[in-house]
Amino acid sequence: MLRLTGNSSERVFLNDMMNKSGQRLLECLQCGKCTGSCPVASPETGGPRQLIAQILAGMKDHALTNPMWWYCVSCGSCVTRCPVDINVYELATALCETAAREGITPSEREIHLFEDLFLKSVRKYGRVKELRTVALFNLMTMNPLKDMDKGIALMKKGAIGPLEIFRAGKKDDKVERIFKRVESTREGE
Amino acid sequence: MKATYYPGCSLEGTARPYDLSTRQVCSALGVDLQEAPDWSCCGSSPALKMNRVLSVALSAHNIAQIERRQVGDVVVPCPFCFRRLASAQQEMKADPQLKQRVETAIETTVQGELSVHSLLGYIRNEVGLATIRENVKKPLKGLRLIPYYGCYQVRPPKVTRFDDPENPSSLDEILDALGAVVLDWDFKAECCGAALALAKTEKVTELCGRLIREAAYRGADALVVVCPLCQANLDMRQDDVRAHHGTKYSLPILYFTELMGLSFGISPSALGMDHHIHDPLILLKNKGLT
Ligand code: SF4
Ligand code: SF4
Repeated sequence: MLRLTGNSSERVFLNDMMNKSGQRLLECLQCGKCTGSCPVASPETGGPRQLIAQILAGMKDHALTNPMWWYCVSCGSCVTRCPVDINVYELATALCETAAREGITPSEREIHLFEDLFLKSVRKYGRVKELRTVALFNLMTMNPLKDMDKGIALMKKGAIGPLEIFRAGKKDDKVERIFKRVESTREGE
Repeated sequence: MKATYYPGCSLEGTARPYDLSTRQVCSALGVDLQEAPDWSCCGSSPALKMNRVLSVALSAHNIAQIERRQVGDVVVPCPFCFRRLASAQQEMKADPQLKQRVETAIETTVQGELSVHSLLGYIRNEVGLATIRENVKKPLKGLRLIPYYGCYQVRPPKVTRFDDPENPSSLDEILDALGAVVLDWDFKAECCGAALALAKTEKVTELCGRLIREAAYRGADALVVVCPLCQANLDMRQDDVRAHHGTKYSLPILYFTELMGLSFGISPSALGMDHHIHDPLILLKNKGLT
């Protein structure tokens, strides 16, 4: 892997990620403490250290399709232990926004689908309807009976009502407006 | 003591027992909880991942609404909501441009100076152990509890400003004040992976598996949580863990507020303790606590 020279044309992506995430990636020591602490680091995700290495090397395509930032659960272990305070979940947001803007197909379809459905529920109702979101997710991943046993167990205990999936609840127009206004200011950037 | 209560979406859904027990326990402790006016979702991990301005705006919208009718401190049971509300205030303070964009999105100004507490932090530090002890009528004698904080409650410390991020102790101290046997372990603040529960069930089963296995190994009667996501995840995934590890586990996963309520003499059903998949009632009966 090549280190970038100081030439600014080589550093467009790196600088962009540093600006958007507010993280001082050039200070990364590549020590790997983040990866050692990260609950989702694995051979498939490579872990946060590798993701940062890709950005430092200007490997934009690799970084934007890296599954690591989709997997990130924002647990904050990395930033708590990093010797130079790099927060990887804030970096994940910068990568996710950039990948979306550039029209890159999400490398982790299911995680993207879940997060998207969750936000649609918030947008529509102002509060997330957990069970509707679960049911919709299972339907759209062609697995409608997934975790059905748990749902039934919870219903038997009276923890959830059988009609909860269909009960939409009241809408909160103010939240929908916030979504719309965030979208429109973004287009005008 | 008066406080504004921001329950968050989970407490209206799968985490009803957390809501019920929080209200009961706070009223016993003399905390007058007033639900935040017209609160809405903080956007949780999906907004945080996908859109920074939206994520801060959703929290700021709630903060602005609370500011208009401010009642004392803000108390938030869900650690993720707590961390988002606290972080939004800090992010806007550090970045005036972000604050401006957020104010445009929510169509109002926001001060961002509220004193936001997690429920655990509020009970441990504002109410305090002495008041808790005074309210204990039925000490949880002989009940072996393992305290689990999860990640969002304590990390990152710059945002949460609460307890030790690697080896927190506030929940241990509360459970001790209730008269329980508090077990020590290394996984107090390890992640259970709840945000991936649906999309990456395999991964989450692995993460839950190591927690359940260790808690069982330490001889815990129950695992005590402060987070609705941890509760749902650990309660639901035990059967999947069995499929992986071959061992059958049935460990009750309880909110600390349920145990507080129990020791205050409140009935388990009023606390929602009959709503869990892994039933704690048999255990409590065997220990002579119901
Ligand atoms: S812990 Fe920090 S310095 Fe070390 S590799 Fe990770 S981001 Fe870089
Ligand atoms: S915040 Fe994300 S990258 Fe950092 S340790 Fe947690 S899951 Fe891994």
